[in-house]
Amino acid sequence: MNRKVLIVGALIVTPLLIFLALSFGKDPRAIDSPLVGKPAPDFALQGLDGEMVRLADLRGRPVVINFWATWCQPCIAEHPVLRAGAKQYEGSVEFLGVIYQDEPENIQAFIDRRGAWGPSLVDEAGTVAIAYGVYGAPETFFIDRNGVIERKVTGALHPNELASLLNGMLSSG
Amino acid sequence: MTSQLGSAAVLLALMTCAIGAPLGFFAGASRSAAGLQWTRRMSLAFALFMILANLIMEYALITRDFSVSYVASVGSLATPLHITIVSLWSSLEGSILFWGLVLGLFTASVTLLQRRGHEDYLAYTLGTLFVIGLFFSFLIAGPANPFRPTPAPIPTDGPGPNPLLQNHILMIIHPPMLYLGYVGMSVPFAMAVAALLRGQLGASWLRPLRNWLLVPTSFLTLGIMLGGWWSYEVLGWGGYWAWDPVENASFLPWLTAIAALHSAVVQQRRGTLKAWTVILVMVTFLLTILGTFLTRSGVVNSVHSFTQSPIGPLFLAFLGFCLVATIILLSWRIDTLVSEPSEDAVVAREGAFLLNNLLLVTFTFTVLVGTIFPIIAEAVRGVKVSVGEPYFNRMAVPICLGLLALIGIGPALPWGRADKRALQRALVWPLPAAIVGVILALLAGARSWSVLLTAFLAGYALWVTLDQALRPARLRAKKGESAGQAIVQTFARAPRRTGAYLVHLGVIITFVAIAISSSYKENLEATMAPGQSASVAGYDLTFTQLNVERQPHLTAEKATIQIVHKGKDKGTLEPRFNHYPTQREPIGTPAVRTTLTHDLYLTVMNVGADGRIGLRAIVTPAVVWVWLGVLIMVAGTVVCLIPPKSAPTPKTARTAEATT
Repeated sequence: MNRKVLIVGALIVTPLLIFLALSFGKDPRAIDSPLVGKPAPDFALQGLDGEMVRLADLRGRPVVINFWATWCQPCIAEHPVLRAGAKQYEGSVEFLGVIYQDEPENIQAFIDRRGAWGPSLVDEAGTVAIAYGVYGAPETFFIDRNGVIERKVTGALHPNELASLLNGMLSSG
Repeated sequence: MTSQLGSAAVLLALMTCAIGAPLGFFAGASRSAAGLQWTRRMSLAFALFMILANLIMEYALITRDFSVSYVASVGSLATPLHITIVSLWSSLEGSILFWGLVLGLFTASVTLLQRRGHEDYLAYTLGTLFVIGLFFSFLIAGPANPFRPTPAPIPTDGPGPNPLLQNHILMIIHPPMLYLGYVGMSVPFAMAVAALLRGQLGASWLRPLRNWLLVPTSFLTLGIMLGGWWSYEVLGWGGYWAWDPVENASFLPWLTAIAALHSAVVQQRRGTLKAWTVILVMVTFLLTILGTFLTRSGVVNSVHSFTQSPIGPLFLAFLGFCLVATIILLSWRIDTLVSEPSEDAVVAREGAFLLNNLLLVTFTFTVLVGTIFPIIAEAVRGVKVSVGEPYFNRMAVPICLGLLALIGIGPALPWGRADKRALQRALVWPLPAAIVGVILALLAGARSWSVLLTAFLAGYALWVTLDQALRPARLRAKKGESAGQAIVQTFARAPRRTGAYLVHLGVIITFVAIAISSSYKENLEATMAPGQSASVAGYDLTFTQLNVERQPHLTAEKATIQIVHKGKDKGTLEPRFNHYPTQREPIGTPAVRTTLTHDLYLTVMNVGADGRIGLRAIVTPAVVWVWLGVLIMVAGTVVCLIPPKSAPTPKTARTAEATT
């Protein structure tokens, strides 16, 4: 047994592994939204189908608001994730899509081809995106039963991430 | 159906690894011939199932079978066939499946190419490869399974692969080259583990070990270069290396592999540095796993990394396992690898090799610290920091100059103890070439000390390299052989020597090209309306028109620029401004005119509503020599692998097998 090698090796490896382990769960891109923990800004927007949706009316159930566009590749990649999620949590969680800097026609064509997972709300003037501090697509806000923003996810959602967040929100209160 | 078939193939691969790993170690420990025979068979089976799994995935991709989850996430009806084929490695799950294929192929190659001799090493080697294979098969079979069935309803079309992957031919070959380099490092690692378990690393095992290290190193060299070239041709910022964490992750094992190749030379010559060579080889593999972890787990921020991947923790566990196992193995067995007694002290050339290793290890450590410092800073102080290019460049320049100096000084020095006079003569002799280098640089207009120093060292190194490479040929010519015959004979008798100097030549060219291209850029930024002109570095650029091209998920604005260089019409270049789906902000796709002396690089920075464009033109000297230099390096490593032509004995056949 060569102790020198063992000690030197342990001295290098142990801190390395500890630091790498600590770095988990911290998204290097995460920019904390000051809105997390605050009441979600209310809005009333018209969907592509013409129906009005008011956020305040959905109180009592968790709400997922996804800002997306057809020009955004990660949005397209997460489309099936949201679709599966909306189907799985049908009746217990509301899924809202807000069109972010895109034409309603593009969205309509996309939905016709790939299916919808919730209303696609037209945010013509971009006021809702501004209210939520959206700086790119996709961004997803998770709002709890009481209308408080629980979490913001930047970039495409992972199925596991969506499920664990929603299960957490459904089980707590 | 395809889903089940694919999963079945992966499970079978997993099973062969689960059987092969204990079998290999048992056969190694008991020296059982039958055990080894079965271990070999398992390795072929492992490769076969991995090939099968990958073929099934390709079939699913090509037939656009969206019931397979991976196809649903990267396939699309609109994607052309060749892009569909390579989208196997365009996303996380597929790339790990492809990793499995490469590992399978390498494992089978060890079995097929090391057919004779080394039985007792071979069983341990395959056993170790199976342990690595076990982890990757487990990833493919479980958490990163690309064959998972798509939840109903099955979509009729998918999003298609990342468009950045689609827009350049280099992106098709860069990832597989890098994978071949990365995964290939498992083989020398496994061979080093075998040497430790056997408690012996003789010249006969060192030779195949070195060759198996050379193969992935040349792939890695090529892969890194193609990545730099791609980012230069596609990303539009005019550079080829940004010290991005992913670039660093591929650079780190490359540095230690180069260090290991050099220490192996000393070991072969002098019988010393055995333990050190083994450590370097093992560290190289560990760095590939660390690099993969960093880039696949989303812990560092980079253009390449995948976010929030569920395999991150598993990778960390595997990295931890490999690190701990390596350290235990090293501390337990390293004393068995005693150096052969050497009669004289470390002098002259050995000293240069040691310095080379010291510099390369320092370089590795510097880059490693810079890469993971943001992680440490966040863990300790809770702040987000990023270590930028200035840190890396400040550290890299002196180290590279040191390495360049050693390329000159090292080979000029004699092996063993040399008398003072001979040493002086050897070192003074190339000085005129160094001075010529400086004069040439001054004539070309260079004034910065770093470029002049590079020219001095490069001139010196170039002279020594050519002198050393051609020395045996000169001796042969003196004995009466014709010049051509002498060179051919030198090459055929000692391809490794020739190859090594060819690599050095490539390094010198690359270093000089990097020094020149990073020091003498000429930049122009101009806002131009159609019909307007601007000039930079002898070029007259006229913006003639702007066209808008609409493609699915992409709108490109294409500017046509008329190029006149020193009064001669050089046609047009069409840099584009893409409103890219993956990017939040639109990015420019540059257009490049490459010549042997310089590149003209045009990017559109913005397009105004009035049809005016913001154009950026960069004239960079010598860029093409960076790629050419690296290609020479790769050619050199390939030459090193050619078996030497010696007297025709059966031995030739064996080395041929061992080295291919």
